[in-house]
Amino acid sequence: MCDQTFLAVVFGPCDKCFKEKPLRAVYIKSEQLSYCSLCVEMMATEGLRENETLASLKNEAESLKGKLEEERAKLHDVELHQVAERVEALGQFVMKTRRTLKGHGNKVLCMDWCKDKRRIVSSSQDGKVIVWDSFTTNKEHAVTMPCTWVMACAYAPSGCAIACGGLDNKCSVYPLTFDKNENMAAKKKSVAMHTNYLSACSFTNSDMQILTASGDGTCALWDVESGQLLQSFHGHGADVLCLDLAPSETGNTFVSGGCDKKAMVWDMRSGQCIQSFETHDSDINSVRYYPSGDAFASGSDDATCRLYDLRADREVAIYSKESIIFGASSVDFSLSGRLLFAGYNDYTINVWDVLKGSRVSILFGHENRVSTLRVSPDGTAFCSGSWDHTLRIWA
Amino acid sequence: MTISAVTPGVIRTASDHAVCSLACRVVTKVFSRAGAWSRWQTMSTTNNIAQARKLVEQLRIEAGIERIKVSKASSELMNYCEQHARNDPLLVGVPASENPFKDKKPCIIL
Repeated sequence: MCDQTFLAVVFGPCDKCFKEKPLRAVYIKSEQLSYCSLCVEMMATEGLRENETLASLKNEAESLKGKLEEERAKLHDVELHQVAERVEALGQFVMKTRRTLKGHGNKVLCMDWCKDKRRIVSSSQDGKVIVWDSFTTNKEHAVTMPCTWVMACAYAPSGCAIACGGLDNKCSVYPLTFDKNENMAAKKKSVAMHTNYLSACSFTNSDMQILTASGDGTCALWDVESGQLLQSFHGHGADVLCLDLAPSETGNTFVSGGCDKKAMVWDMRSGQCIQSFETHDSDINSVRYYPSGDAFASGSDDATCRLYDLRADREVAIYSKESIIFGASSVDFSLSGRLLFAGYNDYTINVWDVLKGSRVSILFGHENRVSTLRVSPDGTAFCSGSWDHTLRIWA
Repeated sequence: MTISAVTPGVIRTASDHAVCSLACRVVTKVFSRAGAWSRWQTMSTTNNIAQARKLVEQLRIEAGIERIKVSKASSELMNYCEQHARNDPLLVGVPASENPFKDKKPCIIL
């Protein structure tokens, strides 16, 4: 099923024994070193305790997994939609496209709202990153990235900068300036360096730190000014496709989803994975925290969206229908958390009642798959970007 | 000392018709010399031990966290929804005059 990628050979002096040999990259406390294969083997077997063979470790892993399942099952006394039966059902929703933002030359891959609830940054396959004013649909800034497939873009909390990246394996920060004479590309700052494509990026609570997720299977926290790596998060077994920061002001956790079907919750300070959830049947394309921060939703290629509660440590709801067979590319909650908007690869947007688990509405309008979807910071509207080269604002 | 060696990953070849909007990865075959294959194999075993040990440690951490019942967690999610429902413009709808995106009624010139 999975092919193995082979690393490109790098010859050089080993950092440990200083002999000229083919090198492997090794990470020790987030520092990258190059060891030859012999030194890697010696290091790995150094701490091996007695009786610890591969088989015994595997057995222990299996028994721990079993115990984990048992513990989780013990607390599974009722389903969310059963508890939600006493809540009023939602009425009919009429949501229409209020604005269409046209201007991208190719598929729109990612978008983000500014905290001023008005500006939007979007990036596309042709390498262009555009900042729009969503009220007037005017384009305020446009930057051409040196690479195509700009898969991630984010607005800084202050509204003064944007970050974007994609196939260039980097995350670049551009300060936004209204000076017509200034070339935005000239002030570009390369912040993150990964060994594979950048799939998602997000500023933390300030303009000074950026969290990135990459196809190399890691997430990383960077300092914008110096470009230094502050913390790296290893644990995913395949490409990481999405991430979302916990909403609280003091929050220092984030959730990431990847091609290994796992969603993992990380502590930003220690770099440790706190919880992981593996119930999806396919790649997780999008994760988003519930507004209270106690749960998160994920959208996946297996055509379902699922809600995971962090304190119950399990999946509590599945949003799926037999008629939906295309993957969900992007999910977001409304302000109160009652509605879940999900964009699918069958060109539609489904609106789900989070508590009852039923579909409330289905929105048509895009002419190709919906690749990204975000609700505005004040909750008055949401914007969806699609492979049909446009963004639509719905309210 | 935490070690995490870069392990062989997953190939995803993509085109517009592919599963997701990911890019092609360049594959470069490495060990084309005789005798290198056995070295690769011993490396894989060592990596597997290190990986297995990390997995066991991670599972131990996860098994030890505090959990609450689903009923309690669900009711808290519901309470949050109910508390914030009236402030949710997409849920309750705001009048057209307050929503910057909805078109206001055109002025009638008397």
